Amino acid sequence: MKNLIAFVLSVALGVLMVLSLTNNDWFAQFGYVDLADRVSQSYIDKDVTGNPGEIIFGITSNPENGAANIVTSIVVDYRSFDTLGEVTVLFISALGVALLLNSQDKNKRLALNFKPNFMLRVGSRALFAIILMTGVYVILHGHLTPGGGFPGGTMIASSILLLYLADDQFRTKVKGFKLLEGVAGSFYVIIGLLGLLLATYFLQNFLPTGTVGDLLSAGVIPIVYILIGLKVGSEIAGIIDNFLTEEEVSL
Amino acid sequence: MSSLAVLLIAIPLIAAFVSILSKKVAPYLLLIASLINVILLFYFVPDGIVVIGGYDLPYGINLFVDTFSRTGLGVVNVLFLVIVLLNIVEFKKYSSVLLVALAGLNGLLLTGDLFNLFVFLEISGIAAYLITTSNHKPLATFRYLIIGAVGSSLYLFGLIIFYGMFGTLNLMDMVSFIQANNVDPSALVLPAMLMFIGLGVEAKLLPFNSWVKGVLKDSNTLSGPMIAAVYAATISFVFGRIINNLLTLAFVGNLLIVVLVLLAVGIFIAEAMAFASTKVREILLYSSIAQASIVILLFVNGIVLWAVYLIIANALSKTVMFLVINKATKDHGDDESDSLQGVFSKNILVGITFSVATLSVMGLPLFMGFVVKLNYLTELAVGAQWALLAVILISSIIEGIYFVRMLIKLWYPEKNEVTVKFDLGFKVVFVAIALILLALGTYTAPLNTLDNSIDTIAEVIDNG
Amino acid sequence: MIQYAAIILIVFGLYGLLSNRNIIKMIISLNIIEIGLNIFIISVGFVYDGIAPILTSTNSSSALLYVDPLPQALVLTAIVIGVGTTALGLALAKKIYSKYGTFELDEMGDNE
Repeated sequence: MKNLIAFVLSVALGVLMVLSLTNNDWFAQFGYVDLADRVSQSYIDKDVTGNPGEIIFGITSNPENGAANIVTSIVVDYRSFDTLGEVTVLFISALGVALLLNSQDKNKRLALNFKPNFMLRVGSRALFAIILMTGVYVILHGHLTPGGGFPGGTMIASSILLLYLADDQFRTKVKGFKLLEGVAGSFYVIIGLLGLLLATYFLQNFLPTGTVGDLLSAGVIPIVYILIGLKVGSEIAGIIDNFLTEEEVSL
Repeated sequence: MSSLAVLLIAIPLIAAFVSILSKKVAPYLLLIASLINVILLFYFVPDGIVVIGGYDLPYGINLFVDTFSRTGLGVVNVLFLVIVLLNIVEFKKYSSVLLVALAGLNGLLLTGDLFNLFVFLEISGIAAYLITTSNHKPLATFRYLIIGAVGSSLYLFGLIIFYGMFGTLNLMDMVSFIQANNVDPSALVLPAMLMFIGLGVEAKLLPFNSWVKGVLKDSNTLSGPMIAAVYAATISFVFGRIINNLLTLAFVGNLLIVVLVLLAVGIFIAEAMAFASTKVREILLYSSIAQASIVILLFVNGIVLWAVYLIIANALSKTVMFLVINKATKDHGDDESDSLQGVFSKNILVGITFSVATLSVMGLPLFMGFVVKLNYLTELAVGAQWALLAVILISSIIEGIYFVRMLIKLWYPEKNEVTVKFDLGFKVVFVAIALILLALGTYTAPLNTLDNSIDTIAEVIDNG
Repeated sequence: MIQYAAIILIVFGLYGLLSNRNIIKMIISLNIIEIGLNIFIISVGFVYDGIAPILTSTNSSSALLYVDPLPQALVLTAIVIGVGTTALGLALAKKIYSKYGTFELDEMGDNE
């Protein structure tokens, strides 16, 4: 009976949403969006502070924002403050997981229910290196290709997860992660404050943005993405460690 | 420099990141950061729009400092500092969490961007879940987490529909676009309701508030006042800002009636539950649910100024009440009003301050609550909102009965000995807050210097 | 239509949350809501024949039609926030399990 009420309630809500959206003249129909009506067009043309003309990959230099990947330009420059908040969300969840599960360096690994053999251990080490390198690559090229600090950091963490799953003796130093996490986070805020001091505004891009498409371009964006990558990687690895260890029960 | 308001968020944030490196330094960082915030706020932060990243709105994110956000920041930061000072020794473990909470709350009050508001809602929300883990009731915290996450998802859903309609995420830009194009209110119904429900969950409006009971009923001297006073005040301010500017555009005709009926029913149910309860903390939490609904009701009716004062009066009273009861419960182990009977007969000073706080919430003369209630009832009468007036008056009577019943129990000595020791710090805070409530209740001139236009977003839009 | 699919996912998630009494299943339902919401956010920015908003040597800023990049940036934030909430929820679930020895709300005794 309770389930029926829940079912009727949620279906009614869904029908209401669909009806209301289809009858809404202002809500653009799926696939027929005119970007010129939205703020997004200015992100693509990079003309928020002034008209730079057509942005051409490999030629245009020093536009207001030098990232070839427009999503990155929004995430780490135009709406960088959101990203600072996002990093904080992940930071506080990692902190909360550690607080709840009472994480300590002396906690013991949870045992695997099989004995990892030699091939598994060596193979996972080799894969670890490959995944780690991919993660680093994705972070470094975040302003040029799809990717960036968040996916790259997650890849780094997943390489560590692989080691945890393949080797029952493996254990990382939680303290090291904490250090990395705290330092990377502080540097993000410090870069923001440097923007306030060297330029005019908090989180302003105070470095020259270079030529669109170069690896060394886009000012602070690659630096911020490296910091985010380190922070996300160490935070998620920390969460993994917290879940896979537990307090030793002293008898 | 006009960008100084950013420091209200940046300083606690950087302190939080540094604080996880050393457990010993963390509490000091918390104290220093919250003190710096209060000083910055009262002496250095100027009014105006703060641009972040060098991109003007609506392209970049902006913070908005005016009398409205400044009032909210003042209440929240000062109460935060006071509560932290009282609890820092006992809850050292939570220093980093509290630092993030402070950054999140300030961000919520300051931001002028609706998506940024969602991010800060999540930051302060997760910090709140962690603060409530100090109750050692993981199940209640889990419920809070699930309901809070659904609430903020609904808010985000509403926001995205708004974005799909108007192509901007900035509150000011969106409002001016809607006004300039005379958008039909019926087009705004779905996103506005989704936002209203989403924020209503966080602002503990009935019927979206099933998390409140579990969280507050076992609270301690940190989580109780933090959630019931500081968080409640912040969410009310933010909700008020959104209602004043954006949601009023949708709340016309039938939808307005639906919203008002929803709020009125919420007030009645909450008061009835408070009336039926015998546990002191349950009475307090249901009464604060009712008060939160009244605040939102006032915002919906455009009575901004007195809604703001009501938030402040409630935050002050609730701080005292939850601190007293949670401390008494901790020493005594039970908060049935029968077993706490006569707790004030030995703690006369604390008893007087607690009674002042309660009488102020009830709205009896001499205290701030009375002035506030008198004024908003007058404004409702001027607006000829007789039904709402009746709702609030009847709820006040119910409130009066159960609060007086509770006070009599707490004062009247019984056979069983109840001894609770309050530290000097607690007593100083209680007396200070009681004096503020008394002062503003008798000398009302400072309250009348402002008017309903303290939320200046509309003015800024008019001036381009 | 993708948007209807997103709304259906949200409805599924809501139904799961309202009807389930198992903590892990509740967390999964929450995730389904978030995934539905994320798909909806992305769909708001879709443009027929639009390409991914990345400048390359063949695509300059005004030559081609791009899909809206802003919802993609927003969804990145929303995903990360979802991860954070889920991690915290799972940690709480672990804590609850160590306290009650079960994930079923009905078997926990003190129903508060």
